Amino acid sequence: MKINECPGVVRVLKLLNFLTAYQVSYKGCESMLADQEVIINEVLGTVDLGIRKMVLRGPIALEAKPGQFVHIQVRPGLDPLLRRPFSITAIDPERQEITLLYKIKGKGTELLSKVCPGQMLNSLGPLGKGFSLPKRGDLWLVAGGIGVFPLYALAVAAIKQGLAVRLFWGGESYSLLECSGLAMWKELELPVHISTIDGSYGQKCLVTDILDDYLQKYSQGDLGLGPATTGKPVQVAVCGPKGMMQAVTELCLETGLPVEVSLEEHMACGLGACLGCVVTMKDQQGKVRRAKVCQDGPVFRGKEVVWDVSY
Amino acid sequence: MSPIDFRTSLAGLNLRNPLITSSGTYGFGDEYKDYCPVEALGAITVKGITPEPRLGNPLPRITETPAGMLNAVGLENPGLEEFLRSYVPRLQKLSTAVIVNISGFSVEDYVLMASSIRCDSGMAALEVNISCPNIKHGGMHFGTDPRSAEQVIAAVKRKTDLPVIAKLSPNVTDIAEMARAAAAGGADAVSLINTLLGMSIDIDKRSPAIANTYGGLSGPAIRPVAVRMVWQVAQAVKIPIIGMGGIITWQDAVEFLLAGATAISIGTGNFINPRAPLDILAGIGQYCRKHGFKSSRDLVGLAQMRR
Repeated sequence: MKINECPGVVRVLKLLNFLTAYQVSYKGCESMLADQEVIINEVLGTVDLGIRKMVLRGPIALEAKPGQFVHIQVRPGLDPLLRRPFSITAIDPERQEITLLYKIKGKGTELLSKVCPGQMLNSLGPLGKGFSLPKRGDLWLVAGGIGVFPLYALAVAAIKQGLAVRLFWGGESYSLLECSGLAMWKELELPVHISTIDGSYGQKCLVTDILDDYLQKYSQGDLGLGPATTGKPVQVAVCGPKGMMQAVTELCLETGLPVEVSLEEHMACGLGACLGCVVTMKDQQGKVRRAKVCQDGPVFRGKEVVWDVSY
Repeated sequence: MSPIDFRTSLAGLNLRNPLITSSGTYGFGDEYKDYCPVEALGAITVKGITPEPRLGNPLPRITETPAGMLNAVGLENPGLEEFLRSYVPRLQKLSTAVIVNISGFSVEDYVLMASSIRCDSGMAALEVNISCPNIKHGGMHFGTDPRSAEQVIAAVKRKTDLPVIAKLSPNVTDIAEMARAAAAGGADAVSLINTLLGMSIDIDKRSPAIANTYGGLSGPAIRPVAVRMVWQVAQAVKIPIIGMGGIITWQDAVEFLLAGATAISIGTGNFINPRAPLDILAGIGQYCRKHGFKSSRDLVGLAQMRR
């Protein structure tokens, strides 16, 4: 055994390492675990759909990128025990504010809806890897229901960068779309293609039907998509129910378009440690591996996702 | 104001403080670096390693329960070979003691792991997981039968030059008997408790809430069970105890030290507060100062003496 390998020496070396490294790595510890002040927590649209808008003020807004999320302790104490992840809908670094849209679904979101402006929420974030932003060209966004939430920040960033953005959005009904921020989207003045299942707004079909139509036009070179379009789409970003995201991914890949999907799973830590939120990925050689929604995602390249949940 | 002496000796290891992070809750030491520098910890315990790589269980793997959570990850890990090749070199650079949790399906598996992860790898100790509840025919068999426990610990002990920590399952009638078996097998320390076997049903889907049906319950909900078991084991064996089970606050940690744990380990607490070990260490220091203890070592087993 060499001298630098014997346990006593290893320990001394480690301690020296510790003394020199401590200051360096200690810095920035608190920058990502921060109390954020609740500025707004209000109903969006009609009460019965349970969709709400929350604006939080704090340093997370300075770092957040479209597609990332925040992991929030909805109230102090042991019940509920775990944090809840929320995608970020809008980022305003100047005012240090992030906007979260959320739907009341269970205990965590129910409690969150009771939080009043002025209260502080212990938040971890921004977490995860967000959407990539192409340098130029057309970006198509495809949303299913409240899956539209994280796409808004991406749309704003893409417009700022000079991309031509187009939204395909499907929902159950007009009231769902209205409560999920339709007015915000209208203010962006993008081309928006809407479908509803009940036909109460836009076309009565699935969002994938409209998308398929446009993809066919695209592949036939018959774009004719109006003045907002500078050319062919360079990328598609999608968020919605799993089945919808799978269908959109398959449609895009058939046409040879790169597609990014924003996935969601139950998670505990949000940092890649608990392995609660893994999804399955397949590389070009067909090798299957696990990836963590919280750390490797939530945004993944659609072509790598294995949609079969039995793995 | 003199600083509190946190140095802790355990199973031949000299740790800078008694705070350890639990296997399966701390990844491979990188995950929490922005919130809690590993240099601040006594040791970290890495995710359980098996001889072969494992994809683990399908989802859902976790569900929240009152003051706790159930998990059935199913020992997802890169496997021994990849661990040695890709992870050990990174772990060697961490400025803290690294405990490697090893799991297996047979005595031969454990022996293979013990012979492959040697002292010269820079790893500090082996934690022998004889208590995983989430894999069929998994480690828990070794953790519920005293004779099997003794055998597997003895087999590992024969093959390794590292200290051996036996991680005990709470899913037994007599935890003291299991601790005695581990000690008889030559364990240098015991860590307890692993998760309690539990189950939850999703009433909307009318099916088990996690894909594996059963899962391991962790979090504050299990803490009184853990404190009781640490207390009993402290009376049964002379080897040191790493106490764990639902430690969230410094008060929880002090309780374990007073019950007889030489070191304490944070698991689910990291999920809620990634700075938990720092906050807990600061709290133990304040407690010592307030009550006139110069060292956190002075607290170990103190409640036992007051009985």
